[in-house]
Amino acid sequence: MAWKDLLVERRSKETLNALLFFSLALLFVFQFALGPDRERLGAVLPGLLWLGFILSGVLGLGRAFLVERENDCWEGLLLTPGDKSAIYLGKLAGSLALMLVVEALVLALFVVFFNVDLGPALPGLALVIVLGTIGVAAVGTLFAAMTAQVRARELLFPVLLLPVLVPVLLGTVKVTEALLLREPLADVAHWLKLLVAADVVYLAIGLLTFDVILEG
Amino acid sequence: MSTALGWLAAAGLAAGLGMGFGVAPREVTQGNVQRIMYLHVPAVWVAYLAFAAGLVASIVYLARRRPAADRLAHAACEVGTLFLGVNIATGAIWGKPTWGTWWTWDARLTSVAVVFVMFVAYLLLRQAIEDRERAARYAAVLGIVAALNIPLVHFSVYWWRTLHQPPSLLKPGSSTMPPVILAALLVNFAALALLGAYFIARRTRVLAAEEEALA
Amino acid sequence: MPDNWTFVAAAYTIAALAFGTYWRWLNRKEREINALRGRHDTGRTTAGRDTARRDAAVRDDRSTAVRNDQDPAVRSDRTSRSRQPSMPGHPRPEPGSNPSIQQ
Repeated sequence: MAWKDLLVERRSKETLNALLFFSLALLFVFQFALGPDRERLGAVLPGLLWLGFILSGVLGLGRAFLVERENDCWEGLLLTPGDKSAIYLGKLAGSLALMLVVEALVLALFVVFFNVDLGPALPGLALVIVLGTIGVAAVGTLFAAMTAQVRARELLFPVLLLPVLVPVLLGTVKVTEALLLREPLADVAHWLKLLVAADVVYLAIGLLTFDVILEG
Repeated sequence: MSTALGWLAAAGLAAGLGMGFGVAPREVTQGNVQRIMYLHVPAVWVAYLAFAAGLVASIVYLARRRPAADRLAHAACEVGTLFLGVNIATGAIWGKPTWGTWWTWDARLTSVAVVFVMFVAYLLLRQAIEDRERAARYAAVLGIVAALNIPLVHFSVYWWRTLHQPPSLLKPGSSTMPPVILAALLVNFAALALLGAYFIARRTRVLAAEEEALA
Repeated sequence: MPDNWTFVAAAYTIAALAFGTYWRWLNRKEREINALRGRHDTGRTTAGRDTARRDAAVRDDRSTAVRNDQDPAVRSDRTSRSRQPSMPGHPRPEPGSNPSIQQ
């Protein structure tokens, strides 16, 4: 048991490092792709930020069940007595924590490299980042379990996840955009409501159907 | 039953073509190219009906584990994807002469494209899982997620596109529609719905026969 | 505005092609299955069944996951390749729930 926990913790650190450096690489590519045009950069910054978040999220979530898979513990998951949704919540919380840490660090990098002034936007930004990440993690954990045993999982997982996440992507980008332009949050209230609705739907489906995924 | 549906569909398609080309008048602004609408718009309605059927079938499968429900879900989502593909293709062909471009990221096209990719992913998942029973369970879950995501996609894309954005002039199926055009639209919708039902019926039959042949 | 009948024709043609191809694909699937069932029925001893299964499994190893089967006897990927089905048969057998297949 302790060995497993140790393994999990080390794996998380590995994943964290990998994700961080992936985001850093993305940042560099964004800068090179967009060149020195400050204005254009400013316009696409929210999109870039969330592109970075979601791509790292896909990477991180794709590995959510890696430990079980690599160590032949899948049957262990299946045989767990009691409500399997606890496993879902556990995995979800783990992924969520990991993603939020990465996102906070990436945000900091963005501020530094692209000279962004967050200022009063920060609390709103924190809110939308949390809302968006919950949505990504809720669907992502479910889909990660679904694709864990599939041969083409590295391909299938993002193909499954990304179209489903379009509403979350749109909502978060729009709110972030408004916040960076110092618009009042009330203007984008409908987007926030959409994000909350999406989160509720995804979490509900995840909780209700995770048992089904872990039947075999 | 599927044979009867097939003949009804054929009759419906004939009627639809008659309405679309014979009865419906030449449209004032766009000219005759607008007749593509009689194919394009009903196709998406049928697709969404199919996905709704797939949603119900998926829920029933998870609740009751009836293999017929799984077959229906599979067939419905497959046929829905087919009709959605036709919708996208005909939309692009309609768009080229009317908007000057094959593709534009307007609200309708974009949300339909996203839904299309979602359900293609559904079909890919089914193909990727070898165990029949597991494929059925997982596909049911995905079918539910995808179908319930459709309204979220629509709202998000619509808001993304139309707020701060002037509405496009040549919106297909505008709200003030002359009754003749509406009638032609509805007839074509009935025709395509029958065709869709026919396809679903035959597809479920093929799935059932496959399963029986394997046993 | 010009009438652009070529576009109208193109749209309806593409739709006809899409629906027609799907319809022909359904027909072909049904033919394949009936052929397979015919072959199964003629070899309806237990030995015949095992041979048919083994043949199907052997052919599977050489098949790809492509939808359009050229060889009518090649099964799709949902076959006896699943070594450990999670549940016996599919699905949980319910009493009296035999679905009627032919119509």
